[in-house]
Order: sequence, then structure tokens, then C-alpha cells
Amino acid sequence: MTTSGQAAIRARRRARFTEVVREIASHPSALIGAGLLLLIVVLALLAPVLMPMDRLDVTKITAHGNESPSGGHWLGTDPSGRDVLGLLLWGSRASLLVGFSATAIAMVIGTVFGMAAGHFTGLTRAVVLRIIDFFLVVPSLVLAIVLSTVLSRGLSTIVIAIGVTSWAQTARVVRAQTLTIETRPYIERSRALGAGDRHIIGKHVLPAVMPLVMANTTLTVGSAIILESTLAFLGLGDPTTFSWGSMLKTALDTGAATAGYWWFVLAPGVAIVIVVLCFTLVGRALEAVLNPTLRSR
Amino acid sequence: MTEPTLVWDDVRITYAGGNVAVDGVSLEVERGGTVGLAGESGCGKSTLAMSVLRLLPRSARIEGRIVLQGEEVAGMTWGRLRAVRWTEAAIVFQGAMHSLNPVRQVRHQVAEALALHSTKEFPDSAARLRRVDELLALVDLTPAKGRAYPHELSGGQRQRVMIAMALACDPELIIADEPTTALDVVVQAQVLDVLNGLVRDRELTLVMISHDLAVLAAVCDRIVVMQDGRIVEQGKAQQILAAPTHEHTKELAAAFPIIGDPSSRLVVGRDPGSLSDHSSLSVSTSSTGGVVLEVRDLTVDFRSRGQHVRAVDHVDLSCGAGEIVALVGQSGSGKTTLARTILGLQKPTSGQVLHEGKPLPHRRAALKAYRRQVQYVLQDPTASLNPKHTVYEAVAEGIRIHGLDDERERVIRALTRAELTPPERFFAAIPQELSGGQRQRVVIAGALALDPTYLVADEPVASLDASVRGEILALLLQLRRDLGLGALVITHDLGLAWNIADRVVVMHRGQIVENGPVEQVLLDPQHDYTKSLLAVVPSKLGLR
Amino acid sequence: MTVIETVPADSEDTRGSSLPRYLALKAGGALISLALVVVLGFFMFRIIPGDPAINMTRGRQVSPGEVERLRQEMGLDQPLLVQFWRFVRDLFTGDLGTSYVYRRPVTELIGDYIGPTLLLTGTAAIISVVLGLWLGQKAAWRRGSWFDKIHTGVALVFWSVPTFWLGLLLLLVFGGGLGWFPTGGMSTAASTDTGIAHVLDVAHHLVLPVVTMVAVIYAQYLMVMRASVLEEMSADYLTTARAKGLREDLVRTRHAVPNALLPTVTLIFLTLGLLIAGTVTVETVFSWPGLGYLTYKGLSAPDFPLVQGTFVVFSAAVIVMNFIADLLYRVLDPRLKSS
Repeated sequence: MTTSGQAAIRARRRARFTEVVREIASHPSALIGAGLLLLIVVLALLAPVLMPMDRLDVTKITAHGNESPSGGHWLGTDPSGRDVLGLLLWGSRASLLVGFSATAIAMVIGTVFGMAAGHFTGLTRAVVLRIIDFFLVVPSLVLAIVLSTVLSRGLSTIVIAIGVTSWAQTARVVRAQTLTIETRPYIERSRALGAGDRHIIGKHVLPAVMPLVMANTTLTVGSAIILESTLAFLGLGDPTTFSWGSMLKTALDTGAATAGYWWFVLAPGVAIVIVVLCFTLVGRALEAVLNPTLRSR
Repeated sequence: MTEPTLVWDDVRITYAGGNVAVDGVSLEVERGGTVGLAGESGCGKSTLAMSVLRLLPRSARIEGRIVLQGEEVAGMTWGRLRAVRWTEAAIVFQGAMHSLNPVRQVRHQVAEALALHSTKEFPDSAARLRRVDELLALVDLTPAKGRAYPHELSGGQRQRVMIAMALACDPELIIADEPTTALDVVVQAQVLDVLNGLVRDRELTLVMISHDLAVLAAVCDRIVVMQDGRIVEQGKAQQILAAPTHEHTKELAAAFPIIGDPSSRLVVGRDPGSLSDHSSLSVSTSSTGGVVLEVRDLTVDFRSRGQHVRAVDHVDLSCGAGEIVALVGQSGSGKTTLARTILGLQKPTSGQVLHEGKPLPHRRAALKAYRRQVQYVLQDPTASLNPKHTVYEAVAEGIRIHGLDDERERVIRALTRAELTPPERFFAAIPQELSGGQRQRVVIAGALALDPTYLVADEPVASLDASVRGEILALLLQLRRDLGLGALVITHDLGLAWNIADRVVVMHRGQIVENGPVEQVLLDPQHDYTKSLLAVVPSKLGLR
Repeated sequence: MTVIETVPADSEDTRGSSLPRYLALKAGGALISLALVVVLGFFMFRIIPGDPAINMTRGRQVSPGEVERLRQEMGLDQPLLVQFWRFVRDLFTGDLGTSYVYRRPVTELIGDYIGPTLLLTGTAAIISVVLGLWLGQKAAWRRGSWFDKIHTGVALVFWSVPTFWLGLLLLLVFGGGLGWFPTGGMSTAASTDTGIAHVLDVAHHLVLPVVTMVAVIYAQYLMVMRASVLEEMSADYLTTARAKGLREDLVRTRHAVPNALLPTVTLIFLTLGLLIAGTVTVETVFSWPGLGYLTYKGLSAPDFPLVQGTFVVFSAAVIVMNFIADLLYRVLDPRLKSS
């Protein structure tokens, strides 16, 4: 290939990239969402610097329990006197970690199963479809509850429980897209040229479903974070790490809600809503931009 | 002289983004007149028609005057406009597509127009439904058909429902937008007959839109040819068809060659003169090599809706090296299934496909080797190229699959043979940046890159604009002359067979009913089915 | 649980097949899913690490002798397949084992607790369906308007709220703070009211849990209906309807909405099942004496036969709802009836 040809391709990729960025930018809510998410991720990464762990050590702190918000503690303190803002910062690490890793698992399973169900025929398809259908209909919260009941406590259990129960929607979307792609005549042309399954999946199907998977990823991270907090709320979380869900669990257990310690109930919840909303906004914008069938909307 | 039914006065229609669809069109349609608007896709003919009832998307900006029955359309209030819609002008949409609501019985959809505009004559729903039955009878449909949902009707029946619906409120003007596109030739002839009869009997004013000059000539007295939003030629239908003056009209007319006309036999393209020195073009079949492809007693069954459908029924066929064979038939005749079976994309129920005397292998590796030899060119070049792959990648795809060396040289050679020169200029282009004709050349280049012994082309020009059709057919002839490459060309278009084929094979309901040299089959058809196909060729419709 | 906004894609396999065949296919699928639930419900609690007896007593001090007794009681000294066989046999006779906390058969417990759950989810479902669909089609038709922006915005926010947290907030504000509504339970404990008074009392208790559920679920219906109507908005038959002179609101209600409703119906039934499963958190927050609350009790004990039992019941409910959705879709869409 000539260098000028490659340059042209690179230029076009760049142009396409800027076009996508510009289209996303045309959804102001998505832009705000993306900016906020970036800020939250940076804060989560900087948590050890901003709020050294020993300042949250129950044995070393001097503040009283359940202090209302003040100059010293912007978001007040929890029942053991720990700074709620600090807990929120550290909690974001667990919540985001669970959200991202569980989503990664879900995306891999979902993409593989979705493409298999769309591409293959006969027995393979029937079996894969059955499995997808099963995970679609079995209530994921209940399944996740059962999984985290029977597995040993820990962050990895939560990740697995959420990952294993959140992939079916992705598989469904990927399958639908695979089916659409498979009816395109260029697949038939490729077959007529002698292509096998690997070539067709690798060169045609996978590149075509990736944008959808990307958009789905952002949407799934949001629901994974909600699911994590729900599991923690039900007492199935990892008791040794802070997460937004475990904070709410503590709030419930110590009666913060009924005692009027609203800051300890409000802060983690608002944090969850903001992060999930940001992921949802970005995901919807990505979907609208990357999925051509939604383009017309 | 009475006032004209419809007047476009210097109309200019711009879509969002500055895209000018109609650019200064002035046209009058007199009372009782029948006018055909011709042109290729994107020439603005549909936009112009839809502007009459203000049915364009809101982003469209209309300048100039549109006057319907003496009343300016732009000045109507919404209420007035709704009253005018369907009572003064009604539209026959392309009913074969999605113009009917899929979840309502068609009779209720026809009755809806009556309920809106003719409540005095037909006060209750029983009266309206009786009227619907009468309307359906006008288009030769039984009342039972009115109780059907759109998906239960054939394309031709749906189109008739659309016509009945347009007639419901006795409008002065009927606008028919591509009313027969996507219909088979036989059905097309029936629908045109119905439309023609109604227009004459009821002295309707008709504006009909089509890309097909012959279809327009079958119904309209006057034809207006549009290109890029402007009118380039207009005149009496017969004159436009027989003696076009504008270059664009000639291109449109050439897409429907007159069968039997020697000047269009084995000669296609914009300028027949340039090919005249290749008088040896018509290589006679006898002088070509042996049989490349052979089909023996082939049967293909499908399971559909729990029933067995026999798509291909004991077919025998052979194609010689360098021979161009046209496989002609209506949709549903099994011709595409036959082609896919020949390419090993569909398993035969019984019978054999032989390539150079050897039966088609079943094992993957051997099948792959076979697919190097026989190449496929599909109907819609836009859809048969991955929109994300560059021309280079598209042409090199086969080379990579088969792990051949000298990838770059092969791609250059293939593109050159497909007349995309200089090839380097096209390497980095993506399909979206190419014209329809160029895209089909890329598909052909992708096939040529593997040095095939034979081509199978399924409707290679059906989705292309008329002006491009000639180029691609000329390319097929050229490849045969230069490389001795034969082709099995699948088509519904007898004119195409007349243009390029050595032999015609007529397929009907999965069986081959006639098979012989082009001149013999097309000029002296023996089988009734071939005769009926020839009787409804659009170019003949226009001339009767 | 991502926002489902696309039309179900699985209908193409069965499109056009005859009704008995379709029924057999769908019923077969549902039965396989049910069987998988049973298998999963059994093996998940036994194969995945550790001794179920110990897992079950997690968090409690137990002597080795007690564990041994538990093992025998649960039949754990038998081979796994024998255990499974007993489990399945018992299941067919409606026996889901005995709860440890309540010391009563799980089936009986579920029977006691299912009524309040049905009342809660039924009320919430009806309200969210009506609200979501109506707002959704309206938002789609006026795409880009303030109506659309506000309602999709609000829906997205509700969609991002963890159900239990919303419940907690409502409880805090309207239950604890303002005292407008009771903070938990299904009826006032001491009351001996009957008749109308009792109904009103229950309704009073019902408000907050229902509002919580509706807030979370209506958003999804709104988004789906909106997407579905938007899908239809460029359809050619709407142009036909407009050309006939139909008023814009009739174009919407007569043509666009009926077509857009079809894919939505499936989804509604699918989420009805999920709604039932989602009661775990809402009922926990409001101490609503339903299956979800029962599950929570089972989780915090932990009471393994109870959790296993509710898992089977919840999953079966969703599968049955899904099956009904398939049937309904078939009945409603004329295109799926074979000609």
C-alpha cells in the first residue's frame, strides 16, 4: 500500500474520530457526564493522597460520631466519627472497581455468546440461545443474591456475581446486530470468496458489533454500580472494604435514617445517582452516535 | 382554455444542509392530462411530487408557487390543507413497500379516507365498508381481500389497494410515486393496465413518477425528464422514447433496449461507435472451449412455514468457457437459489454441480479451492461491500483468504481490469466515496483478483441507475473479450439478455422451460411462459 | 439490568410458523428454563465451595455435632445425585424443604407471603404501565420539546437511583419526618379494623412502597415506548395517513401507537417478572410482609432452604410472565399469525 494511501486512511480515521467526538459533544448532557466521570475517576485514584487512610482509622480519630456537616467535616461524620467525605472518596474506589470489572466480565461473555448465537446455526445456536434466554429471564438480582450467598465473601465474589448475571442484555443486542450484519450481502460475497467462520467473525462481524458493545459497556457499568450497592445493602457485600453500598448498609444498621443523620444517608446515595446518571448519559449518547439504526432518531 | 389542475411555478426545494433537491422547476399539468416524471434516484422527482400536498419533512424549504386547482398550496391553513388532501389530490404510494399500516386490515385503511372526507355520502361504517368493496372491485380485488392484512397480500395486490385508496374520495388529481417499482414485469403490466383504465375512464389528471421511461410511456401522454433537480427534456411520450435529444434521456432510454434491435445486440455503453471495431465481440459459442460448469438434475428444497418448497426442480444446465449465459425468470422462480447452489453456498437436495468435470467437493478445504475458481458478483454493490473496508481491503480480501502472494500486484491488476484506473488512486477510498458504478467495479475487481475461470452474476445492474447500467454490461463484455471470462448472468430483464448474452435460459417455478441462443429464444419463443414474459417487456408496453 | 430499548429480536425464528408449533416451541423453551432454574437452585447451593451445612450456619457459633446433625437432616451424607433426585421429587409434590428460622415448610411460608407481594407489584405495575406508556408516546411525538426533555431527563434520573435508597429517602421524609405515612408493615399492628377501614389502612401503608416501585419501573416503560414510537415515526404508512388528511393526533393514536405498542407489550410482561423479583429491596425497606422481605430474612439468617425456595419461585414467575408475553405478542400482531 502506498504511503499516500495509508496517510489518506489515517486522515479519514482521524476525521471519523473527530466527527464522533463532535457528535457526542452535540449532546451537552453527555459531555457534562463524561467530564464529571473523569473528575470522579481522578478523585478516586487520588484518594490516598487527599485522604490518607489513617485519618479514617477509628482508633486514631478525634471527631465525635454523627457530627453534622461543618467546616472541618464537609459532609459530617459517620457513627464511629469517620469523615463521610473521606469514606465517600475511598468508597468510590470499590464502587468503580466493581462496576468496571464486573462490566468487563459481562461484556466478554455477552459479546462471545451474542456473536455465537447470531453467527452459527443448528445445534450450536440452539444451545447458546437457550443459555442466553435463561440468563435473560432469571432475575439477575435474585441470581446475584444467591451467588454471593453461596460464594465466600469478598470483592471478587461481588464482581463475579454481577458479571455473570449482567451479560444477557449485551448478548441479546450483540446477537441482533450480528444477525443484521450476517444478512448483508458482503458476508455472502466473503463466503463466495472462500472465507470461513473465523474470517467472517473477525473481519466483518466483530468490528461491526464493537461500537454497540462500547455503548453497552457504559450503560452496564451504571447498573453494575447499583447492583453492587444493592447487594451491600442486603448484607452481601465485602465487610472489609468501604463502598457506597456498605456505607448505606451501615447507615441503615445504625439507624441513621430514623435518627435524622440525613447526611450519612444522603451522601452515598447522591454519589451513586450522579455516577450512574453520568454513565447512562454517556452510554446513551454513544449509542445514538455509534449505532446507525438509532441515528435517525 | 380551462385552468390547469396543477402548476409548479419556478419551484425550488432545499433540504436542511443546503441540499437543493428541486432547482427552479416550472411545469403545468392541464385538466385530464397525464404527465410522467422520469429521472434517476435523487433527481428530485419525488420531492417535487410530495410538495403538492406539503408532505415533505419540515426541514424542507420551498420557494416558488405551487398551485393546485387554482389555489396556492403554501397559503392553505392546516385545516384547509387536510380537507384538500385526498379530495382534490391523492397519492398512490409505492404499496409494495411499507405504505400500508401493517396491523390494520386494508379495508379499514381505505375506509378511513371516506370517514374523513365523505361522511355525508357514507354516514356509517357499514356504508363505508360497502363503498370499499366497490372500490376494490374497480381494481379487480374481491371483498375478501379487504379483510386481509397487508402482509397477506402480494405486492401487486397491495399496489391495487393503494390505487383503490387513492380513488376513494374521487380526487381530481392522482399522483403515482413509483407505483410499479419492485414488482415483477408480469404484475407490473397488470397494475399499469388497471391504472391506465381508471385514468381514461374517469378522466383523471395523473402525475406519475418512475425511473423507467417505458413504464411512463405505457400510461402517460407527456414525459418530463429530470436531472439534478432540473427539467432537462420534455415532450410527447412516444417522441421521448423513440427520439430522445438530451444526453441524459438517451442514457435512460438505452437501459430498456428494444429486443430485436440489432444496434443493441452485444453492444452496450454510452457510445456504441467506440466498440464497433471489435466486431469479433460476438464470439460464437461453438468456438469457445469446453464446458466449465455443469448442473445435473439439480433439486433444492426449502423448509418454510413447516412446508417443503421446491425452489429448484430437476434442473440441467451447462456453461461453456467464455460463454455468457443469461438465466431469466421472475422473482421466486428459483434462479438465485440455483446460483447459490452452483457457488456451494446452498446444499442441493439431490443432483450434482460439476466444475470442469469434477463434482463440487463437500470438504471445507476443497470447497475453498473451488471458490477460487468460480466467483460471485452480487446485485447491490453498496450492500456487498463492507462499508468500513477500503477498496484495497475489499479487493485483497479474497487474496488474503487464500493466502496468495504478490497481494499488491494482484490488486493493481484486478482494479486495472475492472477499469478503475489508475488503481492507486482508489486504494484508500471507502465505498461511500464511490459512485454506484464504481462500487460494482470494485466487487468485480475483487472477483477478478483470484483469476477465476467463471463468473456468476446475480442481477449485476438491477440496483444501478440507468446511466451506469451500460458501463457495467460493457465491462462484462470486455472481460470476456480480453480474458475469455464467461459469466452466468441472473436477471429478470430480457433486455439485458439481448444486450450481452450468447444463450438464454428461462426459468419458471424452479424448472427450466426454455434454453437456447439469444436470437432464437427471444425472437422466436416456443414456450408459453417465455412468450408471456416477452409480451410484457416494458419497451413493448410503451410502443403499443 | 441495562435499559432495554430495542425491539425483541428473537421473533424471526418463529415468524410465520403455525400456532401449535409456536406454542410448543415457546412452552418447550420455558420448560427448559424452569428445569435449569431447578438444577441451578439445587447445585449452586451444594457444589460451590465449602460445606452447605457450614455455609448455612455462617456467622453463627455451632458445635461439630450440630453440623453433623444438620448434614444428616439435609441428606448430605447421601450421594449428590440421590440428593438431587430427592430434591426434584419433593419439588413435584410442592415440598421445598423446611425453613430453619421459621421452623415451617418453605412452601407454606411462601403461600403466606405471596399475597402482599402480588398486591404491591400489581398496583405498582398498573400505575407504571399507564404512566410510562402515556408519557413515552407523548415524548416521542414531541421529540426535542421541553416536554420530551423534562420527562426523559426525570426518567433517566429515576433510572439511576438505587431502589432501596429511594425507599429510604421517602421513609425518612414522608414517614419519619412528616409522619404522613406509616414507616413499615402492611397494616397498623394494634388495629382490629375490618371492612372499609381495613382496606384504607392497607392502602395507606401501600403508598410509599408503591411510589418507590413506580418511580424506578415507569422510567423504563417511558424510554421503551418513546424509542418504539420514534422507530415508527419515519414509517411510510404514516405519510399515507397524513396524505389522506388525517389530523396529527389521529395519525399518532390510530397508526403510530398501535404499531409501537406491539414490541412494548413483550417488554412489559418481561419486566413484570423482574418487578416481582425487585420486591426484595422495597419490601425490606418498608418491612412489607411479602416474598422479598421473606428472602431478606432468609439471607440475614442465613436460611438456605428459604432462599432456595424463593429463588425458584421468583425465577418461575419471570419465566411464566415471559411465556405469557410471547403468547400475547403472537395474538396481537397479525403478521405473526400464519395466513
